[in-house]
Amino acid sequence: MIFARLAFRSLAARWLTVSLTILAIALSVVLFLGVEKIRNGAKASFADTISGTDLIVGARSGSVQLLLYSVFRIGNATNNVTWESFEDIREMPGVAWAIPLSLGDSHRGYRVLGTTAEYFDRYKFRAGKGLEFTSGVAFDDVFDAVLGADVVASLGYKLDDPIIVSHGIASFTHHEDKPFRVAGILAKTGTPVDRTVIVSLEGIEAIHVDWVGGGRAAGSLTAEQARTLDLSPKAITAAMIGVESKLRIFTLQRAINDYAEEPLLAVLPGVALQELWAVVGVAETALLGVSLMVVATALIGMVAMIFAGLNERRREMAILRSVGAGPGLIMTMLIAEAALIAAAGAAVGVAILYAGLAALQTWLDATYGIYIPPTGLGEREMITLAAAVAAGALAGLAPAARAYFISLSDGMSVKM
Amino acid sequence: MSFKFSTALSLTILTAGAAHTQTRELDAHQHGHGALNIAFEGASVAMELEVPGADIVGFEHPAESDADRALIDAAIAQLAKPLELFAMPAAAGCTVTEANVALLGEDDHDEHGDDHKDEHDDDLKDEHADDHKDEHDDDHKDEHADDHKDEHDDDHNDEHADDHKDEHADEEGEEGHNEFHAEYALTCADPSAIDAIEFVYFERFPNAAELDIQLISDKGAKGFEVERDEPRLDLSGAI
Repeated sequence: MIFARLAFRSLAARWLTVSLTILAIALSVVLFLGVEKIRNGAKASFADTISGTDLIVGARSGSVQLLLYSVFRIGNATNNVTWESFEDIREMPGVAWAIPLSLGDSHRGYRVLGTTAEYFDRYKFRAGKGLEFTSGVAFDDVFDAVLGADVVASLGYKLDDPIIVSHGIASFTHHEDKPFRVAGILAKTGTPVDRTVIVSLEGIEAIHVDWVGGGRAAGSLTAEQARTLDLSPKAITAAMIGVESKLRIFTLQRAINDYAEEPLLAVLPGVALQELWAVVGVAETALLGVSLMVVATALIGMVAMIFAGLNERRREMAILRSVGAGPGLIMTMLIAEAALIAAAGAAVGVAILYAGLAALQTWLDATYGIYIPPTGLGEREMITLAAAVAAGALAGLAPAARAYFISLSDGMSVKM
Repeated sequence: MSFKFSTALSLTILTAGAAHTQTRELDAHQHGHGALNIAFEGASVAMELEVPGADIVGFEHPAESDADRALIDAAIAQLAKPLELFAMPAAAGCTVTEANVALLGEDDHDEHGDDHKDEHDDDLKDEHADDHKDEHDDDHKDEHADDHKDEHDDDHNDEHADDHKDEHADEEGEEGHNEFHAEYALTCADPSAIDAIEFVYFERFPNAAELDIQLISDKGAKGFEVERDEPRLDLSGAI
């Protein structure tokens, strides 16, 4: 093991260049592992956003699009679903429950969701967790609103505060004549619910009841007058469906997809999500490729460092040779150096990664809703790390071979 | 139905004279590309298979010759044995309790809507179901051959095929798509032992290239694509 000790001592003597090289490898490892962690964390967070809902129904479009606008509030619906169709679907055999979702209005950048109070019982996330109120209760009045945790955190609402909904998304038209009252505040979920203002379907209907052709009609009604009108909804954006038996789910899905009166689409959230991953899979592979290239670049940098060092270490080699070290030992020593640097880089990288995760975890969860569990390295990551260290040792072969040949003649005849 | 239909129409903006507008729609139909749904609940497994006729028998026109009919019958007999097409681990102890196979026309949707569809659905499905359950292979051939001839050929050719041609003369290649629909019910002694499904299906039906799979169990829903190149579905952790 003399070569290992020699390698270590030699590295320690050149600590500055060596530690910079280790840092370069460490950062490349952080990048690679970080990309993996965030990728898996984002996937898990997406998958955790909805559980317990068997089918999502909306206007016929793409399954990914339907999932994105109904569950993640990303993008918009192509069409609405008529209330008649929703009622028909609710009556279909095999449907245990159906919850309408009506999107399209906003409050200071946050989406407003019109639904029924049942939503608070049926919406599940992270493997069956339900929504909880930190204060207040679900709405029971037309003009009651329930706020997600992020809405409250950034806009500072309290119970019973008035809240004015804007018409459309990013719009300057406000429904200021019919303010809502904050009736409940939800606990943080890490899902898009946190960034949502939830009101009743009747509330959505009421604020639009005196609108004609996309604008408020002259002589608009007051909130109290609106209450007296028929506020049964005419259209919704999408619906969440639960089935009585999973065995009948595909029959129900086909019945909805073949529904003759209106072109509808029913998707299984998990299946639609997988389709989405198939779409982003190319980008993921590219990202993975880039981070692997960065690891390769750092390893090449290390080889360059060792090569450059060979010249200034002619004296060191000569001394080693003169005290009886064979060229084979010199070669082994240089390979050991490379392997040591790569291994140190990998170890430091893993340390930086977990320190970074520990520091940023809360922020990532709060800002992007990406929860990264502090789990150990996966099998795949371990294999990649081992491969990186092996590649480092292998790359060390090149300078080692050079040292092997030059140290025979060159070292002894050096003139300083 | 008629009431609902008219309300649905009145909600759409209609110009005068469009009152007799009919909805025209066609399902996607891609040769080589089928769909398989699998649902697990307790010891029960429900499966549904929808595949273009071209994948199974290589043609989609109504059976004209005895050879065509023999092909269709042989295919239906094969499709009625799901465990031979989608092999599950023996440890799971799965048995088929019900298998219904039917050959459905795809163009049922547009013009000759309802009666056509009903005819197919009801007659074919029920008959198949019964046959399969009761006397499996014996009466199978005879009855089906006849059914097919009587109901399919005659009706189809005489009434539908003709006016179809007149109306859609320009899209002749498109007409007469059909699909095999199969529904299976299985019970498994230990469904959690199903860690993979081998798709012998692709060996049996050389024209089939791909199956889109939707799977649901207590652990949630998942989507997969199984292709001829890798006829195996890894389900470890999914059920």
